[in-house]
Amino acid sequence: MPKPPRPDGMTLFFLALASAAGGAVYALQGPEAVAAAAGRAGGLLLRVAPIVVAAVLISGYAQALMPRETVQRWLGTGSGLRGLSLATAAGALTPGGPFAAFPLVVALLGAGAAFEVCVAFITAWSVLGLNRVIVYEIPFLGVHFVALRLLASLPLPFIAALLARPVGRWLRLGP
Amino acid sequence: MILGLVTVLVLLGLFAALAQRRPGRPHRTALRTGWRQLRPLLLRLPLALLAAAFLITLLPQEAVVAYLGESSGWQGVLLASLFGGLLPGGPAVSFPLVLVLIDEGAGTAQLIALLTAWSVLAFHRVAAHELPTLGARYTLARLLASAPLPIVAGALAGALVRFTAAGI
Repeated sequence: MPKPPRPDGMTLFFLALASAAGGAVYALQGPEAVAAAAGRAGGLLLRVAPIVVAAVLISGYAQALMPRETVQRWLGTGSGLRGLSLATAAGALTPGGPFAAFPLVVALLGAGAAFEVCVAFITAWSVLGLNRVIVYEIPFLGVHFVALRLLASLPLPFIAALLARPVGRWLRLGP
Repeated sequence: MILGLVTVLVLLGLFAALAQRRPGRPHRTALRTGWRQLRPLLLRLPLALLAAAFLITLLPQEAVVAYLGESSGWQGVLLASLFGGLLPGGPAVSFPLVLVLIDEGAGTAQLIALLTAWSVLAFHRVAAHELPTLGARYTLARLLASAPLPIVAGALAGALVRFTAAGI
């Protein structure tokens, strides 16, 4: 039976934020300013809605075509520069949101992957994720900005992995 | 924006064609996954855009330029990192917000720090996904190892901007 969509915490957060900020705009600048801001939001919504709908469909296809077993096989237990590079590449290519990525990390840790490899993977997934870059970032922010951001972010998975080793030892995580 | 829409539509067609050639033809699975991601956005996205529009109306443009503009330097990068770490919502919500900040005059390095903090630290995602799946110790270790990344990315981006502005 289809359940009616229930507003989740994050939606309620934005509802509260919009109400409070809208109330403040009304009190400080009057109803015309509220209408102008709402019109601006509506215009932006009309522009981004088609991209968002296509984006979630692409994300659905990417996850259906590249199941997590494939990624897991890629990574294995290798560490060192080669393992970190592989983890970074796999993270950048892994599609899907956090509900797909974090269970994958748990599976990797369970399969014996080193903690820093997992950190490189999850960092690459979050800052280099190609799925998000192609589907959201380039359409919204343009190729030039995105290229600059990717270039600046390329070393991040390695830096995080380098830091993860002493931190992991300090917190006495696994071998 | 039109170019962006064309890009995603071409990509969608490509993926659909690939799926068509797979033995299982996983169109149904893909649609289901997509819908599961879209449903919470139906309410969240309009509300987030509305909240952003109101907040930007309250915040004078000079303030955005002063605190997050190109010339705000490393303080701007630090502020943007804090803001990015606290910014809730997925890419469908965050990128439109960044778009608004670009219009208001925020700097490239500062925005890259913001996006990096949003991607690696995102406290809402940590609470909703990472803590329950990885547990407190692994989550803490990953956060500690990732905390400096937004500032590194912002600094690198700033250097790259200066490098390209120097005409190379």
